[in-house]
Amino acid sequence: MLELIIRRTLNVIPICLVVFTIVFCLMRIAPGDPATAMLGDYASAEAVQSLRQEMGLDRPLWSQYLDSLRGLLHGDLGRSLSSGAPVSDQIASALPETLALAASSLAIGLLLGVPLGIVTAVRRGRPVDHAGRLFSLSGLSIPSFVLGILLMLLFAIDVPIFPAIGGGRSGDLSDQLLHLALPSLTLGLIMMAYVTRVMRTSMLNVLQEDYIRTARSKGIGELRVVLRHALPNCLVPLVSLCAINVIVLISSSVMVEIIFSRPGLGRLLISAMRQRDYVSLQSVLVVYAGIVILVNMTADLLYGVVNPRIRSR
Amino acid sequence: MACLLVAVTLSTAQAADRALRMAYDIGDIATLDPHRGSSHVDRAIADMLFNGLVRVPPGQANISTVEPDLAESWEVGDGGKRWVFHLRHGVMFHPWKDHPAYEMTADDVVFSLEKAMDPKTSAYASEYDGFTVKALDRYTVEIDTAQPVSETLFLAKVMNYAGGFIVSKKAYEDLGPDGFRLHPVGTGPFMFKDYVPKERISFVANERYFRGKPKLPGVELLFMPDVSARGIGLRTGELDLIQGSSEESWVKLMRSYPGISVKVFGPGSASILFLNTKSKPLDDIRVRQAIAYALSRQAVVAAIGAETATPLYAPFPGEYLPGGLTTEEVRAKGLDYPTDIAKAKALLAEAGYPDGISLDVVHTELAVMLRPMENIQAQLRKAGINLNLKVVDHPTFHSLIRKDASQIVHYMAWRPNADVFLTRFYDSSSDITAGSKPDTNFSHYSGVDGLIAEAKATTDARKQAELWKRASVQILEDLPAIPVFQGRVAMGVRDTVDLGYDLDANLAFFIPITETVYLSD
Repeated sequence: MLELIIRRTLNVIPICLVVFTIVFCLMRIAPGDPATAMLGDYASAEAVQSLRQEMGLDRPLWSQYLDSLRGLLHGDLGRSLSSGAPVSDQIASALPETLALAASSLAIGLLLGVPLGIVTAVRRGRPVDHAGRLFSLSGLSIPSFVLGILLMLLFAIDVPIFPAIGGGRSGDLSDQLLHLALPSLTLGLIMMAYVTRVMRTSMLNVLQEDYIRTARSKGIGELRVVLRHALPNCLVPLVSLCAINVIVLISSSVMVEIIFSRPGLGRLLISAMRQRDYVSLQSVLVVYAGIVILVNMTADLLYGVVNPRIRSR
Repeated sequence: MACLLVAVTLSTAQAADRALRMAYDIGDIATLDPHRGSSHVDRAIADMLFNGLVRVPPGQANISTVEPDLAESWEVGDGGKRWVFHLRHGVMFHPWKDHPAYEMTADDVVFSLEKAMDPKTSAYASEYDGFTVKALDRYTVEIDTAQPVSETLFLAKVMNYAGGFIVSKKAYEDLGPDGFRLHPVGTGPFMFKDYVPKERISFVANERYFRGKPKLPGVELLFMPDVSARGIGLRTGELDLIQGSSEESWVKLMRSYPGISVKVFGPGSASILFLNTKSKPLDDIRVRQAIAYALSRQAVVAAIGAETATPLYAPFPGEYLPGGLTTEEVRAKGLDYPTDIAKAKALLAEAGYPDGISLDVVHTELAVMLRPMENIQAQLRKAGINLNLKVVDHPTFHSLIRKDASQIVHYMAWRPNADVFLTRFYDSSSDITAGSKPDTNFSHYSGVDGLIAEAKATTDARKQAELWKRASVQILEDLPAIPVFQGRVAMGVRDTVDLGYDLDANLAFFIPITETVYLSD
């Protein structure tokens, strides 16, 4: 197991380097440059050129690439071309916001989705099944930005329970939790829809297995059959779903962070794109790539935990 | 859930004696150095932190209203080539880090203006060609110009706009350029407090401000690109003032909510179509006239809303800038090109294009510009003029239009005076590819070079304005550009905000936050 973890972790490095190189090349090919974005249309060509020199953008591309790569390998992500602030500081401040949003959304999705999936499977064809399926279909159909704005209108304006914008005061956990509520509910409800559907399908399949029939014939109670015998065998597809959806959650968080003005990685990414802030952009995308790889690696390891047969192979 | 309920209870907002919270449509600031900042948010921040030698009063935009700011008075000599400013005594720069506040003197003014004149440290250096500055004594500064400059043009360069802001010499030297752009030090009513990249910037009141202690304890500016989120933040009371949308539907919607008002003010920006006069078929004036006749400004304005947009017939509007033509003056000269599809088709046929024309147009994705352009595209199609819109993101747009990649450039901008408008959009020196100082002459036009130079050289305000009007008439006759509409600025404000001055206009797209602004309970 330890060897597997080490091997997978080492795999992260070349993939991140490839991502870094691709992003570096794409950003330099794209029209528009940071100096123009920073000085605006009022600045003269002379002033723009002067700032380009100051930013080092007039140097050959290979020289810029090697400098950036050297910095990355030494853990120095450089300074934002627009704000001048260290990119590592920006990422260190934004990453926890995005991870908190993804984790809380996943938790909401699982806490609501797993029971609903079980109930709809066990009560197949009954009103609760129809209602649950309709509910999950709605969750799958509604875009996150629409749901986010609806929740804002409902819980920030009509029934003003939660704040609508920002990430909360730094160091004030209660305020941060309050600000996390609506964004995580937005993504959590969508996540719940996926979990419900997968859980229902998986449970329906498992409930038809011979060993379930055997358990019932031995007189074991239905609740115990479902929770003790059926549920563990539904977890493998759920782990796959979670692995895929954590990545979806992190990418969806871009839109949710914009709507709720949360200071996460998504906002950092969009802002860097708008300002052609190459340094911030390439670093943020490398972090995203790292997260995707780590999530997949964690999922692989979890398969072994929930299903020993996979581990033994 | 229990934690959340506890948090709800703990977070009861206190309205009294708190910082003003405002949100603008921006992902982050570009720089806090006022001589480099050019976005509306950079300018809004500079306006709170810095002063000029003179200023246009808050809520005004016309240069003729200029009044003393850091200078108490000034004198002009040598036929408009020597300008002497007498500084206020006792104006204090903000303290920074471990450094206490200190008194502003002529040394700071000389340093600031020399910084503004240097393209290595200023985006506005080209405005100061031929300028030299020196301190005559601790409170007197002399600025000499190589050529005579009229008061209208000169004062725009030393006022609270663009390169005219006075920065602390000691702070700039202590912090260095990179440090100063993250920790600006000026003399304004508010002082820099902290900055969280991509999130917000905060300011506290400068209790030693020379016009008196600000009524607000501080200001917090949030970067919020989404207009819906800003609107909801205003409705929930989490925000006090927001940048809105220039579409009238948004204005009406926000006004329908209790406790919220929308301030709409000018001049905003002039929407103009620049036609590449060197590319076929736009090199034929009949084709350019056909486009002008095919266009209905009223239809464009109707789609945006009459309160936030007005039809524009002059290269720059006389309503805000001395030397600009008013709509009546344009009509009196028969240069308003009233909508006439038949005439447009006839002109195209006469030019040898009876089957119509197709033009390649690169356009920004910004909705405030794209929607009017789509409207224009639909209108021109009726006359057989097809615009192939290639929609790109805003930085790409700015890059491509400067590479001559668009036959028509739809540009929205405002400039502080007629000379800047004419020089940067219509003088051959500003030609985007062939100019000696490539800038924003997208039309490759050179028909008013003489008039622009003559106007620059005169110090007689009346004669200067007359020359600018002649240049405007010439432009409308030659049609290197077609003015479309003047878009005004809309800002949402809670009724608890009292500006303390009348807001009629502002040179940039923000509401000035001065020492008079306060929040009532």
